[in-house]
Amino acid sequence: MDLGTAFAAGLQLDFANLPQQLVNGILLGSIYALIALGYTMVYGVLRLINFAHGEVFMLGAYMALFVSWWLGYSPTATSLGQSSWVNLLMMLVASMVVCAIIGMLIELFAYRPMRSQPRIASLITAIGVSLMLQYAGALFLPNSPPQPIREEVNPYRNEVLQIPLKPRDAEFLEKIKSEEAEFNAAEAAVKTQMEVEGVKSEFDLSPEGRLLRETRNKERTDVTTMKSEYERSGVSLLIPYGQLIMFVTALALMLILRHIVMNTKPGRAMRAVSLDFDSASLMGINVNRIVTLTFAIGSALAGAGAMMSATFLGLSLTTFFGVQPGVKAFVAAVLGGIGNIPGAVLGGLLMGVAETLVVWSGYGDYKDAIAFVILIAVLLFRPGGLLGSSKVEKV
Amino acid sequence: MKYWPTRVVSILAGFGVCFLISALADASGNDYTKRLVVLAGVWVILSVSLNLINGITGQFSIGHAAFWQVGAYSAGIISVQHYANSGITGLPWLLLMMVAGALFAALAGLVVGLPSLRLRGDYLAIVTLGFGEIIRIIVQNQKPLGEAYGMNVSPKFQFTWLVWLTAFAAIAICRNLLKSAHGLPFLAVREDEVAASAMGVNVTRVKVTAFLIGSALAGVAGALFAHYEGFISPQQFRMEQSFIILTMVVLGGTGSITGSVLAAVALFYLPEKLRDMGPVTGGQLLAGAFATVLAVYLVKRVIDHFHGAKKEAAIRHLGIVLGCMALSFVLSIVLNQVPVLANARYEAEKLRMVIFSGVLIILMLVRPQGLLGHAEFSWEWLKRVLGQRRSEAAQTS
Repeated sequence: MDLGTAFAAGLQLDFANLPQQLVNGILLGSIYALIALGYTMVYGVLRLINFAHGEVFMLGAYMALFVSWWLGYSPTATSLGQSSWVNLLMMLVASMVVCAIIGMLIELFAYRPMRSQPRIASLITAIGVSLMLQYAGALFLPNSPPQPIREEVNPYRNEVLQIPLKPRDAEFLEKIKSEEAEFNAAEAAVKTQMEVEGVKSEFDLSPEGRLLRETRNKERTDVTTMKSEYERSGVSLLIPYGQLIMFVTALALMLILRHIVMNTKPGRAMRAVSLDFDSASLMGINVNRIVTLTFAIGSALAGAGAMMSATFLGLSLTTFFGVQPGVKAFVAAVLGGIGNIPGAVLGGLLMGVAETLVVWSGYGDYKDAIAFVILIAVLLFRPGGLLGSSKVEKV
Repeated sequence: MKYWPTRVVSILAGFGVCFLISALADASGNDYTKRLVVLAGVWVILSVSLNLINGITGQFSIGHAAFWQVGAYSAGIISVQHYANSGITGLPWLLLMMVAGALFAALAGLVVGLPSLRLRGDYLAIVTLGFGEIIRIIVQNQKPLGEAYGMNVSPKFQFTWLVWLTAFAAIAICRNLLKSAHGLPFLAVREDEVAASAMGVNVTRVKVTAFLIGSALAGVAGALFAHYEGFISPQQFRMEQSFIILTMVVLGGTGSITGSVLAAVALFYLPEKLRDMGPVTGGQLLAGAFATVLAVYLVKRVIDHFHGAKKEAAIRHLGIVLGCMALSFVLSIVLNQVPVLANARYEAEKLRMVIFSGVLIILMLVRPQGLLGHAEFSWEWLKRVLGQRRSEAAQTS
């Protein structure tokens, strides 16, 4: 046995499950990428880590929850109508709009007054805003018990896209048939023995009867093992339609963002501000308006991610809902090179895959730690991120 | 030569104050009060030690609870496994555990301190936060450490005076460092890293030393905490706790030891006072929030647009604060006439972190350098008063 197999055996890795996990990772990663875009855009223009971004995400999820209640999918509702894609669209738009407004308000009242202060002061303010939203939100928002968005709101909840990668092994079918025949024979033997002895329960059988019963039980386990082996002999990807919609929407939003940033006038202004804040304002760009726009777009993307992860991934909401996704998305932004938009997308997808791989390898307890491990590794060995370039600070 | 008598007197006075605090806590005859006094001491150690890293050396670390946790768990597990067959009992064992906690926490501090050589500002903040979380998650998954449920630490040692003596020692270490030539490089690194290194300061050594001392002190606090409480769980060392320590340091004034101590005690007792007050009605909460926002807006306006004498500005600030307090009182009575608001009840316990985060934001908006800035408590004013008296006496005679 070579080292690789030994290692895999020690970890009990299920390689048949790997493609499914990779796909799950990419689906999850698309949400991280959406959130990471907000971090990276704000960092690009203001050189500020917007700690409160995760909380904007959380509020977006709550907005989706409230809209779903308003649409008649409240926890107490008993007769639920057939939902349609219009409901989902309404939830998505409401989350995005509310998040954009919240993002702009946070920028206006918390970050703008701090712009002339040292960066650490803005960072402390950001931490303060983040804690304030978490704990003040806990006073007013329904969070105990954690509130899930009812899955009935998703009309595609029962549909699953199945992509067969490797067909199931047909020879197992024959084996299953023969095993089943053996099982039936053993079962019949037990039945007849019971009639012969005249007992009602098979536990009252005589020693010979018990022997028959044990044979029957063994045959039964054989059948189930064989059946599960047959199941495992084929590999196919299962993607719920909801998550597919989530991925496609995320991708579409990213393309729209790319169009805005690369091909429109405000986008060009945004790039100019991110290149050089002061020179951009000298060139006649209204810097404040661009910063507000950046916050609005970034927060709207987080809102979209929040609505989709709360609806399609079936997560329950508390006011700390945004902490872990926020941190992971931040790591994704750093991994891709903070301030770099394609980098954020790449980093987000990698983060999602890394997380599912950690769970897959049996270390699920450490899935929240992997983000920080990656972060520290990136900052130590390639501080600029994968696609970014690190700058040397000059005097 | 005339220096050492003052020193001996101040050390003896320090011991005296510690035993006085301990005696007063015992005299209350109330276990709850005693526990508060001890925990206040623990928070003072934590806040002073973070101040050394954050305030004095300027390395923005926000994962301080991790060092506390390392100290608590390492001392706790050693006590549980080796106390019975060690042959050492009582105070010497606790002192040994404090050293062990300090060593392990310092080791963790070294691990965090090394990346700080390459990172600064917000990146360092995130990395320290990350290390804190990693340590918590690792502890949470260790069988011998009780996983997420926590572990019992036996035996318990409950020396109130020792906790405060350690706090005084921590204060003395930081204060003496600042007053001596060894402390100047720390301040230089805080003010300008590049310039400091150009002036021949060994920036690497300074940063690592700061992390080592700061984390070791937090580890001692952890050992004391674990043996005082007799039970520790990962829940007690959440990210939230790091932010509370950070709030203490920032509120007191980054770099001011006096500020850290005062803020630690004040912010520790505030939630306890709140709990005594009982639940708050919706009207009171709304009125309080409105008055706070209004006060911050007005104070900020005065700071930005008023350039008169300091004294006059201070009077205006005081007027705004008192006016807003009165307004919130009146408003709370008015708002409580609305039945919905009057019937809504909010537990004071839940308001704790809201207030802390509010303090952070308001402070950054109004006074980013903290309440005391870099100012320190000293006996200078007393000397000045005495000196003036003496010179007056000399003139009259």
